[in-house]
Amino acid sequence: MLRWHPTCHNYKDLTKSIQLSTGGIWGEKAKKKKKSPGSGTGWPQVFGGEASVSRSVLGVRAMSPVIRRALPVRTSAARCFPASSRLVLAPPASPRPAGLRDACRPAAGPKAKGPACLTMGPPSREAWAQRLSAFRASPSAFMAGPEGEDLGRDLLSDLRSEKLNEQTKVSLLALSLEYPAQLWPDAPAAEAAASSLLDTLVLLPPRPSALRKPLLLAATTALVAGGALGPTSGASLRLLPLLLGLASGRDLGRGFGPASEQRPLQATACECLRELESCQPGLLGGCLGLLRGLLGQEGAVGPVQPLSLLLALALRNTLVIQARAGAGLQGLLVAGSSGTGGSPWTWTLAEEGAAHLQPQAPSWLAAEEGECGLAALEPNPEEARELRAAVAQLLDTSYLLAPVAQAQLLWLLGWALRGLRGQLPVLFKTQLVRLLGTAQLTLLHAVLALKAAFGEALFTAQDEDLLLRRLTAAAQHPAVPPPAHLFYLHCLLHFPENCPLGPTGEEAAPLLLGPQLCRGLLPSLLHDPMALLARLHLLCLLCAEDEEKEEKGQGQSPQLYLEDLLAGLRQRAALDGAPRALATLCFQASYLVAHCLAGQPTVMTALTHGLVQLYRDRPVLAPHFVDLLDQVGPELGEPLRVALQQEVVARPGKDEALRWHLQMLAKVADGDAQSGTLSFLQAAAAHCKDWGLQQALLQVCRALLRAGVRGGLADLLQALAWQLEDPDGRDHARLYYVLLAHLATPKLQVALGPSLVAPALASSLVAENQGFVAALMVQEAPAPIQLSVGPRRAEGPIPVLQLQVEVLEPVYSLELRFRVEGQLYAPLGAVHVPCLCPARPARPLLLPLQPRRPAPTRLDVRALYTTLTGLTCHAHLPPLPVTFADLFLPFPQPPEGTELGFFEELWDSCLPKGTESRLWCPLGPEGLEALVSRHLEPFVMVAQPPSSYHIAIRLPPDSRLLLRLEAAQADGVPVALRTDDWAVLPLAGDYLRGLSAAA
Amino acid sequence: MAQRAMWLISHEPGTLLRGTVRFSRRYPTVEKRAKVFNGATYMPIPEDDPFLKALLFELRLLDDDKDFVESRDSCSHINKTSIYGLPVGGEELWPVVAFQKNGMIYACVPLVEQTLSPRPPLISISGISQGFELLFGIQDFLYSGQKNDTELNTKLSQLPDLLLQACPFGTLLDANLQNSLDSINFASVTHPQKQPAWKAGTYKGKPQVSISITEKVKSMQYDKRDVADTWQVDGAVTCKCDLEGIMPNVTISLSLPTNGSPLQDILVHPCVTSLDSAILTSSSIDAMDDSAFSGPYKFPFTPPLESFNLCYYTSQVPVPPILGFYQMKEEEVQLKIAVNLKLHESVKNNFEFCEAHIPFYNRGPITHVEYKVSFGQLEVFREKSLLIWIIGQKFPKSMEIGLSGTVTFGAKGHEKQPFDQICIGGTAYLKLHFRILDYTLTGCYADQHSVQVFASGKPKISTNRKLISSDYYIWNSKAPAPVTYGSLLLNHPVILFILYLSLQM
Repeated sequence: MLRWHPTCHNYKDLTKSIQLSTGGIWGEKAKKKKKSPGSGTGWPQVFGGEASVSRSVLGVRAMSPVIRRALPVRTSAARCFPASSRLVLAPPASPRPAGLRDACRPAAGPKAKGPACLTMGPPSREAWAQRLSAFRASPSAFMAGPEGEDLGRDLLSDLRSEKLNEQTKVSLLALSLEYPAQLWPDAPAAEAAASSLLDTLVLLPPRPSALRKPLLLAATTALVAGGALGPTSGASLRLLPLLLGLASGRDLGRGFGPASEQRPLQATACECLRELESCQPGLLGGCLGLLRGLLGQEGAVGPVQPLSLLLALALRNTLVIQARAGAGLQGLLVAGSSGTGGSPWTWTLAEEGAAHLQPQAPSWLAAEEGECGLAALEPNPEEARELRAAVAQLLDTSYLLAPVAQAQLLWLLGWALRGLRGQLPVLFKTQLVRLLGTAQLTLLHAVLALKAAFGEALFTAQDEDLLLRRLTAAAQHPAVPPPAHLFYLHCLLHFPENCPLGPTGEEAAPLLLGPQLCRGLLPSLLHDPMALLARLHLLCLLCAEDEEKEEKGQGQSPQLYLEDLLAGLRQRAALDGAPRALATLCFQASYLVAHCLAGQPTVMTALTHGLVQLYRDRPVLAPHFVDLLDQVGPELGEPLRVALQQEVVARPGKDEALRWHLQMLAKVADGDAQSGTLSFLQAAAAHCKDWGLQQALLQVCRALLRAGVRGGLADLLQALAWQLEDPDGRDHARLYYVLLAHLATPKLQVALGPSLVAPALASSLVAENQGFVAALMVQEAPAPIQLSVGPRRAEGPIPVLQLQVEVLEPVYSLELRFRVEGQLYAPLGAVHVPCLCPARPARPLLLPLQPRRPAPTRLDVRALYTTLTGLTCHAHLPPLPVTFADLFLPFPQPPEGTELGFFEELWDSCLPKGTESRLWCPLGPEGLEALVSRHLEPFVMVAQPPSSYHIAIRLPPDSRLLLRLEAAQADGVPVALRTDDWAVLPLAGDYLRGLSAAA
Repeated sequence: MAQRAMWLISHEPGTLLRGTVRFSRRYPTVEKRAKVFNGATYMPIPEDDPFLKALLFELRLLDDDKDFVESRDSCSHINKTSIYGLPVGGEELWPVVAFQKNGMIYACVPLVEQTLSPRPPLISISGISQGFELLFGIQDFLYSGQKNDTELNTKLSQLPDLLLQACPFGTLLDANLQNSLDSINFASVTHPQKQPAWKAGTYKGKPQVSISITEKVKSMQYDKRDVADTWQVDGAVTCKCDLEGIMPNVTISLSLPTNGSPLQDILVHPCVTSLDSAILTSSSIDAMDDSAFSGPYKFPFTPPLESFNLCYYTSQVPVPPILGFYQMKEEEVQLKIAVNLKLHESVKNNFEFCEAHIPFYNRGPITHVEYKVSFGQLEVFREKSLLIWIIGQKFPKSMEIGLSGTVTFGAKGHEKQPFDQICIGGTAYLKLHFRILDYTLTGCYADQHSVQVFASGKPKISTNRKLISSDYYIWNSKAPAPVTYGSLLLNHPVILFILYLSLQM
């Protein structure tokens, strides 16, 4: 018997929910008891008016705890209450306080309004149909709308409504099967929804119902999709035993419907378990024995297919996980072994070995990679025997499975056992002849998977040949639908050979697939485009082989056939008024041939001639030609370009197709045959009447400019500059002329080069906005330059900053511009550097400063430079600080012996104009001598180390700062300070105080 | 091995969106797995509208191919299978299995259990073939016996319930949706014996077995010295076995007369339990000789409830049933035509019907016809630019008939006149349509006495056979005609080729 779990009451938003009991079978009673609400014995009517809501709340008090659980409130009713008066719930087990009854009533507004609102019934069938179709039209838009929030709740509650028929409820469940993530977006909501669905299931009357199956599916889907599946989820712990009970055909009591429903439900339960196992691999690891027992049962048996697939999946997952963990099978395959361990759910196994659905290594072509197969498992003889028995059991009954299910079984087993040699692969052999005979796509595909998994262990060379022949036959059999033909053709070119030659992953015809076998697979004009391209690819591969073998001409050589076919395609593409698809097909075929047979000059020559002829017949295909030239390699591209250029310039230059000729020429024109090109353009110019044509013409000029054509082009541009009718065209011609006259070819190429920012557009105007702006104007760019102030020089007549410069990329013609904030300094000159490279250290740059006042400042720095690609860039660098000390200069050294006198003279001269001060300069552990030598060395005039120094500093433009550091003590030195500029005093003070910190 | 989502879209040229999503189904638990498996390359399933737009664009069904569009028309954008990458919202949804049939587009997205970049080869994705089977199954269900739109709509409305049965979680359990429908309807009881999943219930009633063999003959005839004519027969054997018991065993043998043409490329229904290796290896690829296996072809099987195709085969018969030539020449404003048809003496001269259709493509309407027929009568469809020569039930004693005449056309320009991408200039064909009952070209037959049934009661066994023409073309010998590789291998006396024509009729 099932038990309710008390943990089901975890609705997140309790203000939106009411805990109440419900269920169809009690609805009737509720109606009878309508006159005594709150009597405690009446079961509430679930949906409906205000009365039923309040009654249901009261009903909670007397409700049996067994059926007490969460159910969302009818939202149409809930919406009628002001938000503040939404029902508030007490914990379900505790008796509801009496006052709550009043709280359930509308707190504001006339009482009459409430009932009118609340007696609205649940949405009718039609209303739901409308709602569902609105949702399906665009789920995201619906969920963002006003109804979105309530949909999930309404759906759950209306599943129990008696007013809706089963069909409507099935459609509600169908919605929940498809969009659980929208209805219940997080794990708690999904958990609650699954609980509610399970409740609904249990409460179904014991008559046949179409709801049981979709309810099981919906609960499973909600748990998995909401990420709620797990050992701590109450709903999971209810669902799993229920499913296993159903799957094993146990009698679950009347509640689970009549006997006739047991078998379909058994199958459904297996499917649910399989989905859970798929999403949580290893979950059913403990059930392998049980499942084997069920499948092997004699007498009244369960449905074979669901049990087989479930067992195969669980077996596959267990083998993979155990092999990864390096563990054995631990008797998991033996029936009944799971019974001893209590719970059959192997949450631990599901979490072991990072089995939480990691992207698997490609399952294909893994025969050689023993590590992911069973090789790591190394089953002992006992386990190996059990494993063999289990696989044989599955294969023996596989005939009873639907073909697609058989295919799944084979994929699963092939995957699980791949790489194994010996007896296990041989088990598949008995199935192969039967499978090879069918036309079923999935079955042949599964055989190919077995081929990939076991290789020679299952397929001898003869078997491989037979499989290839069957595949070849299937790829062209009239009874097989065309999409399957194409898939078989793909399989042929990726055939898992026993002894593959050449690199894996590339499309290639298998060695055994000779021209004889391929004969029926070659393309003809009568095929539809996809079949034609697929078969053409095969033909190209044959031609490539043919070339290698130098085969003597028996019948027609594939190459000649190929050329005829291409000619036919071109003829169709050349047809006036033919749909674009025909042209596209022709160019796709040409591309494919150029790609596969680039090394065969005869093919390329014929292709080139054919394409030029096609252009001659239908110049409107110019965009296809441009695209083809962009895509193919030089083997076709170069001769085709030259031939097309010749073709175009040989035209009189005035026909209707001028637009296409100009587009073509813009792609193919270069420095060769410039006289022809120029005369064509000259002739064409007279016919370029509208703006579009003129732009096309200018595009060609642009291409010629880029190609470095100069001589005749200048004349043409000059002519265009006055000849063209459109002023825009004239302007551009003039601009090109100016560019041509003033820029060297490399710069011109950069200026006119395709923009890196966006693909060039048809209009030269737009193209210029991208190309010219980039090349000819200064670009704002993040600086690839780092600038810093180096060591002080303290020499010469004026202060000079030493700048260290580093670059992240090569920079040319660098000009650094400096600006001083305020008027403190005279304007600074720019610094020029011809070239800087990241690898090469640069010499320091010298920046002379001309202070008008001896004060620190910040320099605003801008850099102008040229990049490797020729662009001129402008960058704003971080400001450079000029400190007070950066301005210090020494006095000229007086003759020896007169230093003290000179100093005293200076000292005295400061007053009375200047000022005097005394301050305490703290000293670090290194003492005065170190401090002086580090910071003030160049300015020492008289020194008596270690305790006394006379220091004279010149501050440009014409100030002085004199310091007497005498009688130093351990922690500091008294400083007597004089200056002739009182404004310097605070700066000097700050400087001295900062010295010890700097030390 | 699962599907993330599937769609049925009706293609409606001329409407605003050019199509409508008639049905769609998403599988969120599979989506959950896709998210993990695909990792950074995961792309969620789009909503119906953007999917519809992207798919119609990719399939070139938006009728807007006036301009070159690189993402569609670029020469390197090559699709060689019915599996597409659809650009949706700046990202690419791949792999999308999709094909169009009878104005309906079938599409699904299989789960790929690994990262999508680099793209794994399709052969390594188990969901691809499953997706195809799902879509084929739906197509069979929708169009088997369906006659009109109402029936189609009824069947479409049954799909959600059927898929709940056949594909509840995105993993296909049975591609035969009719079987799923039956299993919903069958009152299920516990069975004492293991029952095949592909058989929803058991038959109760009078036992009977019916076997029908249908052969289709295709041909391409050129009447040219340097191009060989080709023809091919393919057959299908359809069975309906109404037999009691859960797993009745039946063996059907197909036999050939002494001069019959061996059956080749035999594909059998999955219910066939075993196959002789001679059946499995008999292939059209090999050159024919006298040692070829010529039956009897035994097929032991346990029949499903419904009618099913027991096997398909091809065959290389020594001569085409009707050999002919067609000569058409343009003379000033009119076409001069001459047709000659000859029925081979070995063929049963008793048709249900026999007609030669002579279409004229890329021309105006027929304004005038002058003709002479040695047999039968000619019908003229002026607007359709089509002549139909109704030959009737029998060829005359001489077995040879002829038609000659001149056809004049009006000015081109009507939309009604058919366009064809192959019949350009003098390239033209006539197409034969005929059916012969109780006859097969290979001689293949199912002998009532050779049918063995291991079930209670002696069943009534009925057999029938017929030959019908399919893609039976005779090309104008006075102009170039499309040829197949097989037609050019002149040193092979009998040439097989297989093609399905995409000619727009």
